[in-house]
Amino acid sequence: MDVPTFRTPGRRRRAHLLATGVGITLAVALAGCAAPGGSDGGDDLSLSVWFPGTNPDEQKLVNDTIVPAFEAETGADVTVTFVDWGDISTKLNSAFAAGTAPDVFGHGPAAAADFVANDRILSLDEDVAALSQEDRDDLAAALPGGQVDGTQYLMPLSLQGYLVMYDADAFTAAGLDPETPPATWEEAREAAEALTERDAGGTITRSGLLLPSQALARQQSFATLLAGAGGSLVNDEGTAATFAGDEGVDALDFFAGLYSGDDAVSAGLGEDYLNAPAAQQPLVQGTAAMTVQSSSGMEKIRAAAPDKDLRVAPALGFDGHDPAAFGGAGPGLMINADTDHADLAWEFITYLLSPEVSTQYTQGIGAIPVRASAAESEYAQNSPVISMFLSQTDRFVANPNVVGWTQVRDALDSSIERALNGTPSQEALDTAAAEADDVLEANG
Amino acid sequence: MTDLAPPVDAAPAASTAPPPPPGPRRRRRWPRTAVFGLIFVAPAALYVVIFQLVPVIYGAVLSFTEYSPLSRSGPEFTGLDNYADLFTDADFGNALLVTGRYVLQVLPLTVVLALGLAILVNRPFRGVGLFRSALYVPHIVSLTAVSMVWLWMYSQTGLFNEILGWFGLPGQSWLLSADSALNAVSAMRIWKALGSNMVLLLAGLQSIPRELYEAAKVDGAGRWATFRYVTLPGLRPMLVYVVAMDIIYLAQGFAEIYVLTQGGPLDSTTTVNYLIYTEAFQYNQLGSASAMAFVLFAFIVGFSVLAVRGVSGRKAS
Repeated sequence: MDVPTFRTPGRRRRAHLLATGVGITLAVALAGCAAPGGSDGGDDLSLSVWFPGTNPDEQKLVNDTIVPAFEAETGADVTVTFVDWGDISTKLNSAFAAGTAPDVFGHGPAAAADFVANDRILSLDEDVAALSQEDRDDLAAALPGGQVDGTQYLMPLSLQGYLVMYDADAFTAAGLDPETPPATWEEAREAAEALTERDAGGTITRSGLLLPSQALARQQSFATLLAGAGGSLVNDEGTAATFAGDEGVDALDFFAGLYSGDDAVSAGLGEDYLNAPAAQQPLVQGTAAMTVQSSSGMEKIRAAAPDKDLRVAPALGFDGHDPAAFGGAGPGLMINADTDHADLAWEFITYLLSPEVSTQYTQGIGAIPVRASAAESEYAQNSPVISMFLSQTDRFVANPNVVGWTQVRDALDSSIERALNGTPSQEALDTAAAEADDVLEANG
Repeated sequence: MTDLAPPVDAAPAASTAPPPPPGPRRRRRWPRTAVFGLIFVAPAALYVVIFQLVPVIYGAVLSFTEYSPLSRSGPEFTGLDNYADLFTDADFGNALLVTGRYVLQVLPLTVVLALGLAILVNRPFRGVGLFRSALYVPHIVSLTAVSMVWLWMYSQTGLFNEILGWFGLPGQSWLLSADSALNAVSAMRIWKALGSNMVLLLAGLQSIPRELYEAAKVDGAGRWATFRYVTLPGLRPMLVYVVAMDIIYLAQGFAEIYVLTQGGPLDSTTTVNYLIYTEAFQYNQLGSASAMAFVLFAFIVGFSVLAVRGVSGRKAS
């Protein structure tokens, strides 16, 4: 009997065809899975960097000036990606899980602790120690903000802070002296009552004082008031919440009182004016006489309303307490613990932090320079806003760098929102403190 | 080629005959068309397996673990803990209620209004094409882009408050008040969904045989009777589809919430999908987020079955 062989030439061809088809399909499919980012280690002078934020001014400055200069100086090939602030954590987490995280990445200081807890970033203590004493002194105001448990992990590229900007003409019109702005929150409240304007129906048409009250920003507003009342967010060990004490209650009562009652001085609870375009800012439109703002926000407001006499007040405190404001180290860069190019990564960071480039960078984005010596720069000298912020750096208080801070912050933020909508401050803060303690305890 | 199989009409072999010695098994030969068919199907099949089936299975596995994408140790098996925790999670309970309310207040309006519009544009009149296109445009634009536009319209200085101002009415905090935020989001979502629902229902209307209407007319049926006994039964299959798809999309509401309210104020717009996002990507709790996703899946299935039963008037398959 003529039994056919298993593989006839025709079958072999079809089998090959099938295998080739499946192979090509798999290759195409898997090629789509290969994500960019990270260096392959094959090229010693390539570096991938993710910057947080999509500020066009920053992108232009970094892409067109700073990175090309660094590449020309070192021969490195730097690939920069700007990631929207809202997506930076998501994308970084996904990239770390996939093993495609960049060599260097930026984030806010409060994010550092979680990366440290998961052994995702390099300690920079030895690198910082290798800097000259002059450099370390110059960066002294910024470095602590990038530390977790006393170890340097993040190098801030700028300082940040929030101060009160006020309309001097509105002060004059209300019988207030613009040369002596409020020095305490009580004085600010008193001035705000004089500055608040209402229509015939009693609706506020011009807020006397606006503090950011939208999601997350209200936590920063509370942090400003809490620090000004002498309180703190967590204990020194970072193991328990401390914001529910008398200082916290006073601070939150003050915050909520701005929006409630017949003598309210603020309108638009929850509205995000901080991120509104400059032309729509309350100070520009005349719908507020005093607003808490960042340095870059103030620069944009001044540019949008050159005819207005807008000034910056120093940090405020409550009666009997030192002035303070939310701020400190701003976003900075960290080095991926799995990078093959740690030396080049550090070289890139130190290049960005060199006196000239650092000033150029902060000037480009309207931020507070990270180096104290920048106070002498033309940028700071020519800007009353930056000069004021630089003079207040020792009064800025940052959020704590503890593992689980994001959850603590969100719990606090929710409670602040409830208090602003009528829940008694003590009750709201107690709820947040209990939740925060659980988170801090769970994270050791 | 040797034919080893008996002819179909052959009588069975005598049972006394010894079985033939085992030889090499003959493999069934694949027709050429089947081979090529497999090749052509392979990309789509691989796509479904790699990008749809595997993630769903992996998500199901993750729902029984504790896992942070930042962790180097990988997922840790925790059994049913994530699901058990959801029963006592007040945030999740609130998110389920918000999601349910969102679906319930958008779905009826969007279906009824779309049906009315479909009946309206089912008639020939000048400009009907333009009218249909205008109603369909919102569906073409991405939900995120539409949400950005509505964010401005709802702002203190936006279009809606401007219109109120024309009538001497005070501006409203559309998205900033817990009482109005979900309603404001719902209004946007109704506007967005109207066009696609209208087109689907229009197709359903046009598939109803004209003879049925003529017969109803001959029988003396009025407008309501015609609608009740001819149009609605004829539309049922399409209505079932529209309702089921709307429930699926609405219960997964995320983009509009992310852009317009970020879940606030006071969690009044925190849908389950938005909560899943915060749990997974802000708190890095992929395990509990996956468990939420599967509970949401069950919620959608239950909701859809109930709604489809209601619309079709019989048990949903």
